[in-house]
Parts: sequence; C-alpha cells; structure tokens
Amino acid sequence: MSMLPIASSSQVRSHGLTLARSYRRDLIPMLSLYALAAVAGLVGPWVIGALTQDIDNKDLTVSRADVLVAVLFAAAVIQSVFTFMSRRRSYVLGETVFARLREEFLGHVLGLPLSRVERAGTGDLLSRTTNDMDALSRTVRFAAPEWMVALLTAVLTFVAMVIVSPLAALGVFAAAPILFLSTRRYLRYAPAGYLRERAAYATMSGTISETVEGAKTIDALRLSKRQSDRVDADLGEACDAEMYTLGLRLRWFPSVEFAYTLAVAATLLWGGFLALHHWIGIGAATSDAIYAVALMDPVDRVISWLDELQVGSTSMARLIGVAFVEDDRAPTGEAPADERIEARDVRYAYREGHDVLHGVSLGLSRGERIAVVGPSGAGKSTLGRLLAGVDRPRTGAVEVGGVRLVDLDLDELRGHVALVTQEHHVFIGTLADNLRLAKPRATEDELRSALEAVDALEWAEQLPEGLETELGATGYPLSPSQAQQLALARLVLVDPHTLVLDEATSLLDPRAARHLERSLSAVLSGRTVVAIAHRLHTAHDADRVAVVADGMIIELGTHEELLSSDGEYAALWASWRNDHGGDVVPQP
Amino acid sequence: MRRLPEEDPGTPDLRSPIRYVLWLAKLQWPELVGGTVFGILWMVSQALVFVAIGNAIGGKERLSTLLGWSAVVIGLGCLQAFSGRMRHRFAVTNWLIASYRSIQLLGRHAAETGPALPATIPSGDVVNTVASDAIRVGGMFDVSARFAGAVVAWLLIAGYLFASSIALGLIVMLGVPALMILTVPLMRPLHSTQSVQREVVGKLTALGADTVVGLRILRGVGGEEEFLGRYRAKSDVVRLAGNRVASPQALLESGQVLLPSMLVAAVTILTARLVVGKTLGSTQMIAFYGLSAFLTMPLRTGIEGIIAATRGLVGARKVIAVLAVQPWTSSPTEPARSPAAGGTLLDPASGFEAAAGQVTALVTETPEEAQVIADRLGRFTPPGPSTHSAASLGGVPLEDLDLEEVRTRVVVSDVEPRLFTGSLREELAPHARFSDAEIRTAIEQASAEDVLEALANGLDTDVEERGRSFSGGQRQRLALTRVLLMDPEFLVLMEPTSAVDTHTEGRIAGRLREARGQNATVVATTSPLLLEQADQVVFILDGSIVASGPHAELLDTIPSYRALILRGNDA
Repeated sequence: MSMLPIASSSQVRSHGLTLARSYRRDLIPMLSLYALAAVAGLVGPWVIGALTQDIDNKDLTVSRADVLVAVLFAAAVIQSVFTFMSRRRSYVLGETVFARLREEFLGHVLGLPLSRVERAGTGDLLSRTTNDMDALSRTVRFAAPEWMVALLTAVLTFVAMVIVSPLAALGVFAAAPILFLSTRRYLRYAPAGYLRERAAYATMSGTISETVEGAKTIDALRLSKRQSDRVDADLGEACDAEMYTLGLRLRWFPSVEFAYTLAVAATLLWGGFLALHHWIGIGAATSDAIYAVALMDPVDRVISWLDELQVGSTSMARLIGVAFVEDDRAPTGEAPADERIEARDVRYAYREGHDVLHGVSLGLSRGERIAVVGPSGAGKSTLGRLLAGVDRPRTGAVEVGGVRLVDLDLDELRGHVALVTQEHHVFIGTLADNLRLAKPRATEDELRSALEAVDALEWAEQLPEGLETELGATGYPLSPSQAQQLALARLVLVDPHTLVLDEATSLLDPRAARHLERSLSAVLSGRTVVAIAHRLHTAHDADRVAVVADGMIIELGTHEELLSSDGEYAALWASWRNDHGGDVVPQP
Repeated sequence: MRRLPEEDPGTPDLRSPIRYVLWLAKLQWPELVGGTVFGILWMVSQALVFVAIGNAIGGKERLSTLLGWSAVVIGLGCLQAFSGRMRHRFAVTNWLIASYRSIQLLGRHAAETGPALPATIPSGDVVNTVASDAIRVGGMFDVSARFAGAVVAWLLIAGYLFASSIALGLIVMLGVPALMILTVPLMRPLHSTQSVQREVVGKLTALGADTVVGLRILRGVGGEEEFLGRYRAKSDVVRLAGNRVASPQALLESGQVLLPSMLVAAVTILTARLVVGKTLGSTQMIAFYGLSAFLTMPLRTGIEGIIAATRGLVGARKVIAVLAVQPWTSSPTEPARSPAAGGTLLDPASGFEAAAGQVTALVTETPEEAQVIADRLGRFTPPGPSTHSAASLGGVPLEDLDLEEVRTRVVVSDVEPRLFTGSLREELAPHARFSDAEIRTAIEQASAEDVLEALANGLDTDVEERGRSFSGGQRQRLALTRVLLMDPEFLVLMEPTSAVDTHTEGRIAGRLREARGQNATVVATTSPLLLEQADQVVFILDGSIVASGPHAELLDTIPSYRALILRGNDA
C-alpha cells in the first residue's frame, strides 16, 4: 500500500501565505478593528497612572477622578464594541477560509488517478479526510486568528509602555531569555507528542468500534477478555502519550510563569527606581508596572497557540500533499477507430522484477462474452484492470480501436469500458443522487428504466420516499443485493460498450447471487463482456472461456472446445457437473 | 501519579449522572484535594501580586520599600510557578483518571455485553460516548482545581476590600455572582447555534468519509463533478452555520470585556473618592484597581466551571445509558452438571441434530432460517417471550449450563465473522498458544496458504482494524482457520465459503472432514461442493425437517431440494 505524498514545510508556508494574501481584503479590516479594541483596552492602566500621579501631586479632586473613571469606562465600552465587530469578522473569515480549504481538498481527492485509487488503501486518505481536516479546522478557525490577534495586542501593549516611558519599558525584556529558551525547547518536542496523543486516541476509537461492531464474534469466540485488555492497552498508550506531553508542559509552564512575574518585578523595580530619582513620574511607573502585568496574557496566548499551529501545519501538509499526486494518464486526443478492445503481449508487475502477467494477448470481438476462470492469485484481476484501462501495462498495450486505453481522457474511457468489482457502495444521498453520479443529467424516466433493467424498480418504488429516499450510511439501509443492483443500474446509465466484471457477484449470499445474475444479464445484453468468474455456472454461458494460470492464458476457446481438449478446464468442469447431478445443459 | 488504566475500574453507581460523578470523585479524592489546594495557592498568589505592586509604588518613597516589595513579587512569582505546575499536574491527572475509568468501563462493557449492545445503541453512538462523553466527564474534574481557586480568590479579594471599606467589599462580594448571572443569557444563543453547527459539521465529515470509502466506485462510474458540487453545497451550509455562530460568539466575548469593566469602574471610582477623602492612599488605588481587573480571571473560570459541569453531567448520562445495557444471555445461578463429551447437540424446535464425528449440512430456503437455528444451537437468542424451547447438549438444555461452558463447547462462526486488530498469530489463536506448524496446518485446512504467503511478515503481520486490508474471501478463510484451531466439540459454520472461488471452495470442502476429526460440525450452506462432502444433509423448510440423508440421495429424491440447490442453473 503506497502512502500519498505529504507537502514540505516550505510548501505549507507558501500555501499559507498565498491564502493570507488572497484574503487580505478581509484580513486587514478585521485586524484594524481588533487593533482599535486593543488600544481602547490599554486606557485602564493609563488612567490608574494618572490617578496615582494626581495623588502623588496631592491635587486629586472628585470631579477629576469622575472624569478619569468615565474615560476608563467609555474605553471599555469602545473596546467591547470593537471586540464584537472584529471577532465576528474573524469567525466569518475563518469559516470562509476553511470551507475553501476543505472543498479544494475534496476536489483533489476526487481527481486522484484511477490506478492510485484502485491500489492505495483507504486508511491513509480516510484519516486525512477526518482527523487532519478536524485539526486544520481548529487551526484555521481558532488558532491562527487568536494568534494574530494576541500578537497584535502584545505589540500594542508594549508600544503603550514605550509611549508612557521608553526607559521604564525596558524592564519587560528581563523575561525574554527565559521565555525564548524554554519555549524553543518545548516546541521542539511538543508537536510529535501531540500527534502521538492523537494517534493513540484514534486507535482507541478504532478498538471500541470494532468491539461494538464485532460484538457477536466476540461473544461467540469468547474474546471479551482479550478485547477489554486491548482497550486497557490502548488507554495505557494514551496515558503514556499524555504523560509525555504533561512532562513537557510541567517543565515549560513554571519557567514561563516565572518569566512573567520576573518581567513585572523588573519593570516595577526599574520604574520605581527611575521614579525615586524623579527621572520619570510616579504615574508612568505605575502605568508601566500594570502594563507589564497586562502584557502577560497576550504573550501567553502567542506562545501557547504555537503548538496548535504546529500540529495544524502538519495536518495542512498532509491535506495539500494529496494535490501532488501526479496524474497517470496524459490524453493524446486520438479517437478510437472502432469499439474493439485488444490486449497485445502485456506484462505487468506490482513490484519491479516480479511480473504477475507474462505476455498475455487477448482480442475481444464486439458483443462477445468471455469468461476468465482460474485459481486465486493467477492474475485474473490484474488482467481485468488492464483491460479496463485502469493500469498501464509494463510492456505491451491494451487498445480500443487502435488507441491505448491509458491515452484516453477519463470520461472518454468510461464510455468505452467499465470495471465492475465485488465492492459496492451506497453513497449518502437519495437513490436518485446515487444514480445520477453515473449520468448527471439523466431524467427521471431514464433513472426508472435503468432500475427496471436491473429488476430493481419494484423495491425502489416501495422505498419510503421512492427515488427520493435518503440512502447510505445515515439513511435507509439497502440489502447487499439491492446495493449491487444499484451499482448495476449505474452501469446501465454510463452505458459503456465493454464491461469487465471482476467477481462482481461473489460477496453475496449464493442464492441472491444467482438471482442477481439475471438482472445482470439484462445489463450485459448487447455489450462485450469479460467476466472474471468464481463460479463455473457463469462460464458455460460464455462465448469463450479463458483459463488463466500463473500469469498466462493457458486455455482459450469455447466451452465445447475446451471440454473436448480435455485440459484444466475440462477437469474442473467434470467435478462441477458431477455435483449438479450431471444434467446441466450448456446454453448456446 | 497512578499508573493508568487501573487493574479494575470498579463497579459504578449507575442510578443517576450525579451519583456516577460522585462515585468517580470518591475514587480519586486525594488527587482532587491536591488539585484544590494548589489551585487556590496558584490563583491567590497571582492576586497578591497587585497588592505588592500597590505597596511598592504607593508606599513610602524609599529604595528599601521598593526593593522589598519587588522581592515579594519575585517570591509570589516562584510560588505561582510552583503551585501552577502542581495544579496543572493534578488537573491533568484528575481528568485522566475520571475519563479513563469511564472509558475502561465502557470498553469492558462493550466487550462483555455481546450483540445486545449494538442492537440497543448504534455502534457510532457508543464510539462517540467513548471519544467525547467520557472525556467530558473528565473535563469536570480538570476544571475543579481552578474552580476552587477562583472561588477562594474571589472571597479573599472581597474580604481584603471589606477591611478598607464595606461598600467596596460588597461590590466585589455581590458583583461577581451578578456578572456571572448576566453572562448566562449571552451563552444561550451561542449554545443553540453551536449545536446546529456541530450537527451539520458531523454530516459533512460523514460525507467526506463516504467519498473516500466509495472513491473507487466513484472514479469508476464518473460523477466526480456531480459529487463535488454536492459536497460544495453541503460545505456552504456548514459555512453559513458557522457564520451564524459568529455573532453570538463575538457577543459573548465582547460581553466578557464589558461586564467586568463595570466592576472595575465601580471599584475605581469608589476608591478614588475614598482617596480624595484621605481614607485610602495610592497603595490601595493601585492594588484595588489591579485586584478588580484580576477578577476577570476567576469570573471566566467560574463560567468555564459551570459549562464543564453541565457538559460533564450530560456526558455522564450517556455513559450510564451504555453501561446500563444488559447482555441477552447469562449463566444460571446454579449451572447444571456438564454433560459428557460425545453427546449430541439438538435443536428440538426444528429437530436438527449434530453428532460427534459427523459433518452435518443444514440447508434452508433462506439464510435467515438457518441463522435462527444457528442462534438457538449457540444460545444467542435475545430474551423475551420465546416460542421455541432452547437447544440441548447431551440432553441438558443450554440455558441450564454455565455460559462459558456453552461457548467453549459450541462455537458458532457467523456469516460475517470479524477479525480484530492484532498480530495475525494472535488473531488466529486468541486463546491457546499453538506452534507455527499447527497454525500452518489449520491455514492449509482453510485453504488460506496464499493469504499467508502474500504477507511480508507472515504470522507476525499486524492485522488492521476489522481486517480491512484483506479481501472478503481472505477474511473468510482466516476466520475459518481461527475456528478450526479452536477445535471445539461442536462447530457451526455459517456459509463458510460464500466469498471464495470454486477451486478454493472445493479444497476447503475436501479438507473439512479430516480437520474436524471426532468432533461434530454443522455447515449451513447451499454449495454443492460442501454438501457433497457432508455425512448427512438436513433439509429444513418452514422450520421443520423435510428430508435428511446424503446430498446425492436428496438431489434424486427431493425435487424442492434439487430446485433450491440448482437454482439459477436449470433456468
């Protein structure tokens, strides 16, 4: 299973900058409003400084005090108004940016090359879609705006200190070395620690969900002790991960908290010293000491969002990394001359030097039905994927009307050949939505006739809301054979001239499978069909049978020809026929 | 620090959410007391900084005063750093103990309740209860230390101000609770818009996951544009729901700026008047302003505490709902004596019987009918008015036997047997240790050699969650290997070869008899290859036996049997 790419940190940074630039029309007013709120918030300490100065000068009057406190309160009102305005803009912007990021991501996911999708496991992509999306959501919607706002507040607070007294403001730098060193150390280890925590909780959720879903197996096989031990083990790992980050914080927090009070004490002492010598007023010393206290909060927010931002950028790297998967087909624009598909001497390897197909050639006549039989692992499915144009053969070619399948545009390819596997999936959405994926502009009548073709119209119309019934994980549950019929109805809508069926009916209850094959035969009529078969009773219906073993076609011919040649197929058929009481009549 | 999780999470009090939370609290009281002590020290040491600043600047204008009080600030800083460290340590510990105990209880319960749990509560909800509700229960304990500190700091500050002026003391004493009450209406619209937002976000995440899971299909039939359009539309709904949260959220924040300012302004104006009246000096001016501004922090913590408590109790209710689900089956208080080995397993309702040393095939018209019989044979029937008598083992009804004994002697392998996370070796032999040779023999019997060969690490390969890295046919054969290794006295296999190809099915059928030796095997199937290998085929229609005998004989003599088995081929 190949992992999808992950973006480098410089790619993440430039993506972030591009994003910020494209939203600067929203970002600048938001930050400006916030700056106004922050400035209003700085009035309080200044008022107290002025009051202290008046007390020191012994000229404080009631009316003067009233005016100053009125200013303080008015500033608070202004601050709260601007806070409201800027915050609201900030949340709206966060939602907008994140909506764009998730839509872009899904667009890239939907554009992943066919061969990649067919082979890569869903685990990696699924965790990007859920966990990383969730982490990035926190970063874009909260961490990034909070961080910008806190940084702005810290800078403005410091500017206020400098305006009140440039000299006294120097005191806060006493905290800088401790803050810098301890935070740098913390950030070096923290993100990995938090990622480990997240992974531990994801594993735990997985264990719980497989425990609940597999409840019957657990009960039947007496696995309950083992499953609860497993939950305990997952908790143990989660606890270790928590203890690790706790250890990091326990080393970091005290240094940071001490650094803040050090800054306050230094500013107080230095400002007081300057005031004692009358280099600055007592009011200025007071204001700066209180500003030094006020500086703690934004500085603390600036540094404590950093780990979240780091985690967010890791997720961002995984999300935008999906866009870096290179497309595996470059349409040449050639138009196929006819609808005949032919494989010529194709070889294919999943790992270099290990061919699983050794020079297979197979020409499909228009409208014929070929059954491909053979033991598991013989290369049947690989051959199927090559014939459907999903994978590119290592050597040789698979062509339709003289054009290589992998040189066709994807939409064009789908009009020629479709691969149907044992996998079926009912998407969240209505029954009509599920069908229209195959043909977006299909009319209601077309949908109905497609359902009718696969013998599914009857149950479809009996659904609570007919074709508008919500299906999928959260909707009305379909039985496996109904889901399979739905998949077949989609094929009717796509309407390719050639179908490759890879064990399409094998995961069903055998009784249902046989019933389904009847709806399938309706879909197949008039098309060229390659049926990779589990069960021999489909083989005797075929025009030709190809027996695949060890990556080669060892027998190819009609049912009768192969029976009379007395090879592998004949032996297999004999045992099958025997089981059926010897009276199965091959169909013409 | 305790080592988590503990050996035994204990027996919870499920009578009500409050009782459950109190039960948790009782088990971690030393940590809660520790958290409270350091929470108080931490909050109070921060408040005292303002008293020190007031004295440093407002006191006698002497260098020694300044130096002394600056040293006090440093001292308070040390105290704050130390108590803050301890407080955080206790807060995290308290949170972990309470959350993990709840998760541990949920995990055990899920593992021990059997099919009753997913039948009562959707599995997604159970996972959510673990991943979010149990964590919220812990959240109450996390905030407890700071909450205690907030209350004490508020009372101390009020007391300090009372000492100077009764009016000032009253402002703080009454002002803080009043502001908390005023904040509540600001939270309400936020709460309702947020719950709408959570719901649509959940749906969008599900749609995203759905896309990934169905991606192969989607890329096969086309419709990416259509799908993306649909996702965009839903994404827009989420964005708009988020925008609706923006105003209430911003309102709450601006309220949290404005409301405490009223308190600060009231304290400041009153102090200034007292200063003009020479009752107080600049020391108090600075200290009182600082303290009143500092009250924002206890105020926020108080609000946070109330939110955490509300969420925690809601979480506790969900945890209780899961823990209250009872298993369908349990052992009788006085189990009957074990019947001797070599007896038969009989389902009196249908007359179906499995005997030692025999492979008995069970053929029914629909898979559901076979399932009902298998459920009775394995004692999986949900409680309630049962219309059929239970199956019996050697003449003893299964209900009268110890459940553990029933599960050991009769193993039912369901239509979709699950694999679980773990190494393949452990998965295949979860109970006893087997040599690699023994495991390989069972793998051969289940015709799964190719599955093992394809794995780079062989038996040490880690099986992914639910065994999803294997195909359906591979999973089926591995599950068969697992039950063959268990080698129970009675093995009931439901459609054991439905997902494998004809060649493989033939091999499995041929090896089954030998693999089971002198033990009894029941195979529910309609596959001719398996039926041919059975000693006895029992054909059941509408709940009772129509015929029994060898496959070939039934094919010749029972037309309805013949029609069922050959359906689709004669057509």
